[in-house]
Amino acid sequence: MKVTIHIWDLPHRLFHWLLAASVTGAYVTAKIGGELIDWHGRLGVFILGLLVFRIVWGFIGSTHSRFVTFFPSLPRIAAYLKGQWQGIGHNPLGALSVIALLATLALQVGTGLFANDDIAFEGPFFDFIDKDLSDKLTGWHNTAFNVLLSLVVLHLVAIVYYRWAKKTNLVKPMLTGKKEIPVTLAEAIITDHHIKAGVVRFALSLIISSTVAWGASGGITQFPIARVTSPCCSFAWAAVDVVQSNGLLSDSQQQTAQVAPAQAPANF
Amino acid sequence: MKKKLTLAILIATSATAAFAGPIEEQIRWRQSAYSFAAWNISKIKSQVVDHPETFNKDSVAASANAIAAVANSGLGALYGEGTDHGTGWKETRLKSEFFQKKAEVTTVANTFNEAANELAKVAATGDINAIKTQFGKVGESCKACHDLIRIKDQ
Repeated sequence: MKVTIHIWDLPHRLFHWLLAASVTGAYVTAKIGGELIDWHGRLGVFILGLLVFRIVWGFIGSTHSRFVTFFPSLPRIAAYLKGQWQGIGHNPLGALSVIALLATLALQVGTGLFANDDIAFEGPFFDFIDKDLSDKLTGWHNTAFNVLLSLVVLHLVAIVYYRWAKKTNLVKPMLTGKKEIPVTLAEAIITDHHIKAGVVRFALSLIISSTVAWGASGGITQFPIARVTSPCCSFAWAAVDVVQSNGLLSDSQQQTAQVAPAQAPANF
Repeated sequence: MKKKLTLAILIATSATAAFAGPIEEQIRWRQSAYSFAAWNISKIKSQVVDHPETFNKDSVAASANAIAAVANSGLGALYGEGTDHGTGWKETRLKSEFFQKKAEVTTVANTFNEAANELAKVAATGDINAIKTQFGKVGESCKACHDLIRIKDQ
């Protein structure tokens, strides 16, 4: 006998499909290049927002979105490998895959913020570091992509394997949020404390993630109030000013160089 | 007669070699050429894409002309035998396959030339949207060459 339960909450599903779409988009725009490279950058910032959202949701979302519910601890992995694991959300191996995907994407986004393509694209934080370091991080961005691609392939292979070998459809629950489970398992779970998420928690996660994404898109560098209101920030900005006035950061030199042609005499 | 011809060829090739300079010099010159192009590309990007409110027709046209000048300067001469190894301003990232892929290299090089010349033409009109589109095409032609013969950072 089977029973249908609600497993993936709506924000979790939205996160999943938006992530799949934007990672695909980021891949395509990077491959084509040209004008689209700016969309690669925008998608990267959007993915950063999604990742922050997922991490916050991993603490305040509903039961099966929480890291504590599915964290792949050694006892859980051992139990799973012995065939003794019982649960309905991410199984321990799936959880390992989830964490590997999130970590690799975080590395991609983190390095991408500082990257450059040696053509006409610089990540929003490119000016904070020198070109050699940016090239290095761009290299990591290239290498980590191969890791990401392997994980995505593994993810898709696992879905196909579950569909054909285990006769389990993993895609449908990620679309509808609902999953059919044996009634025996359901009884055990219903007695558990089930946490609901709700609109307020969703709004909170949304505010946090969009603030971080906005800051990463360069907003943090264009926000003069940050220099005035927070003494801590003022101190940091003062340090940046000192570094810049000494010409230790390349961007002050670049800016001068870029402004010069408009002001210089036409025959310069 | 045959001797004379051999001599003529010898002189011609050594003259080319002398003109292009030793390996390190070829690498340094071509790196400089692309750096200079990069400065002009960043100027156009800034005025056309990132901050269109700062668009200055003359400045953008000057940059487009500079990029076209680099493209038309005969950069091929700086890719002599053996220049896949060596250090100019920094270590070269030229793939050794460059020398086996002459036909593809010619294609990507011509695409860059045409795109850069077209950009100079479009820039002269001052039509910011047309410049933006053509600027994207130049970027694509840069990428095609990088993908073909430049070692990716790891």
